[in-house]
Amino acid sequence: MLVFQSVVLGLLLGGLYALLAAGLTLYFGIMRVVMIAHSAFLILAAYLAWWTNDRLGIDPLLSMVVTVPLFFGAGVLLQRGLLSRLRPATLTMMSVLITFAIALIIEGLLGYAFTGTQRRIQLGYGTASFELFGARVAVVKLIAFGLAVVSLACLYVLMKRTQFGWALRATIQHPDAARLVGIDTERTAGFGFGLGLATAAVGGTALSLDTTIYPSLHWHWIGPLMAIIVVGGLGSVPGAAAAALVLGLAQSLLQIPMGATWAQTVFYVALFATLAVRPQGFFGGRLAQRF
Amino acid sequence: MHSPARRTTWAVALSATLLLAACGGGGDDEEGGGSGDPIVVGISLPLTGDFSEPGKGVQEGYEAWAKITNDKGGLLGRQIELKILDDQSNADRVVADYEQLIGSDQVDLVVGPFSTRLVVPSARVAQEYGMLFVEPAGAAAEVFNQGFKNLFYAAPAVADDHYNHLAEYLLALPAGQKPATVAYAAMDDPFAQGTAYGLKKKLEAGGVKTVVNEVYPPNTTDFGSIAAKIAAAKPDMVVGGSQYQDGVNLIVALQQLNYQPKLAAFSTAPTSPEFAKAIGNKTEGILSPTGYSQDAPYESNKEFVEKFKAQFGKVPEEDQANGYTTGQVVAAAVQAAGCAEQGECQQKLIDWLHGNTVDTVVGPLKWDATGKPQGAHMIQQWIGDDIKIVLPADAKEADMVYPKPAW
Repeated sequence: MLVFQSVVLGLLLGGLYALLAAGLTLYFGIMRVVMIAHSAFLILAAYLAWWTNDRLGIDPLLSMVVTVPLFFGAGVLLQRGLLSRLRPATLTMMSVLITFAIALIIEGLLGYAFTGTQRRIQLGYGTASFELFGARVAVVKLIAFGLAVVSLACLYVLMKRTQFGWALRATIQHPDAARLVGIDTERTAGFGFGLGLATAAVGGTALSLDTTIYPSLHWHWIGPLMAIIVVGGLGSVPGAAAAALVLGLAQSLLQIPMGATWAQTVFYVALFATLAVRPQGFFGGRLAQRF
Repeated sequence: MHSPARRTTWAVALSATLLLAACGGGGDDEEGGGSGDPIVVGISLPLTGDFSEPGKGVQEGYEAWAKITNDKGGLLGRQIELKILDDQSNADRVVADYEQLIGSDQVDLVVGPFSTRLVVPSARVAQEYGMLFVEPAGAAAEVFNQGFKNLFYAAPAVADDHYNHLAEYLLALPAGQKPATVAYAAMDDPFAQGTAYGLKKKLEAGGVKTVVNEVYPPNTTDFGSIAAKIAAAKPDMVVGGSQYQDGVNLIVALQQLNYQPKLAAFSTAPTSPEFAKAIGNKTEGILSPTGYSQDAPYESNKEFVEKFKAQFGKVPEEDQANGYTTGQVVAAAVQAAGCAEQGECQQKLIDWLHGNTVDTVVGPLKWDATGKPQGAHMIQQWIGDDIKIVLPADAKEADMVYPKPAW
């Protein structure tokens, strides 16, 4: 029974991880940049969701009406204004520094605006749950999982079925060739970055439903998320999703025999194993070749 | 290696030390029992840096103590004057601060800074100068196994003893009602673990079985799996050695799994003003140990809460109470010994505290030879929409509800 309960919890957790990691792998695919500030944006979105609920008294999910377009715009500006101006030779290194700085700025501003007090969204259905074949499923966890499924499905359709998606994938796969066939790769990359940050808005809102948040929380997230996108194959969204589910499940199940401290190391063990055995990742195939 | 510059530094340092020693020796004779001048109390506090929040809280406690005492005519007829330095939460700085306070500023008394990390080095300085050292924070075991003879922790109990009243209560229950199984989940942190394991040790000795014993790192964000493990074992009672966010997250995760224990005890989180809101008011019956309550019926506490409100426009919390308690302990020793200055007087103060009980805002305090307080924390329980003292019997505001209602 405990095993089945842990499988359910692990899948729900893995789904959330998949959503949180989606943007991170997208940035890497588009620009080969490591976006340290991704988890800081997640926490920012979570704070905005909390604030919406606390001040306006409406459901935190509604905050996405504002935060998704806002984050999309911020992503485009970030890419056009800062990251695309870095010299290609030092891009990866400098992008780490620049996004690290952004993460610190967001953390500082959150602390300034909302103080360091730990916050949690108060929801009528916060502790509600139902039974499924003997396991308890918490409603908020299911909503977060549903958000992840819906937004990842949207992302998939967008990438596979729309002209923008084709252009974005072409830009990811071979920027020079994409330019030759007439794709404005600069603009596409900007929009792609916006898309990544928009997933952070959704992910942060999903996260806020069932987590106590505080400004420095993002440091706890960036490590596991980085491990997920490496294991999944850098740049591959389906790869990241598969890796997230497997690692979420592994973490949840390993907790039974090993306890919380060692179960957390599964991310880093998987990271080392991937780098040692299969540096291109286990699920995504060659770097950024596939969506 | 022996550059001239280096040698000069040494020479300066040496002569400074000699000079200080000379001044120190001379000071005693002059100041003796001068009754007109104020009693200067030297303190170093972390007013900036990592511990600035609690540091400022303790400062308010000290200030309230000085004001309330002075308004009543002072100590031994002398006014109290606080000399507070900012150590920036830095252990090197704190040592220099106390050396300055004792050596060159010639303060009459010193009291402690905030946090274990700063208490240990500063207590060592005070020990070298033979000064009494009462401190408001520093509950970890390492404070008391350094062999200090001059140190006293001015709070009811160290972490391991926080739950003593609850352990006593539970073990005294008749066999049919006593919880048979308990699950423990504690953060990997000396304070949080100390509280849970202190209770675990006592309950295990009393024959209560431990069915789950989980330790989680401070950066844990997901408590679903830990909660699943606890819920699957269906223990009668769950004990959380928690700080804040972990306690809240764990309680919510347990509620999501619809686990209904007969008793739930968590450290720190339930006494926070944000707690009820954070878990959606499903607080029914949750227990927590607390070192201080504004509602505690101890005689001096009423006066403290009232006058603190008048001075600062808010009610005192635990940090403020700890500072105030420290002041009360020192004052009791000074009154009994009839002196407050450096030199022989300090040993009189230390000896008196080793042999006596002091009434404070957190209840009567007494200490063992290492300065460890010999009390336990009060136990509070969420009853209805409010958290109330339920143990010990002589301080209770309400009867303990056991088994607790569903949450």
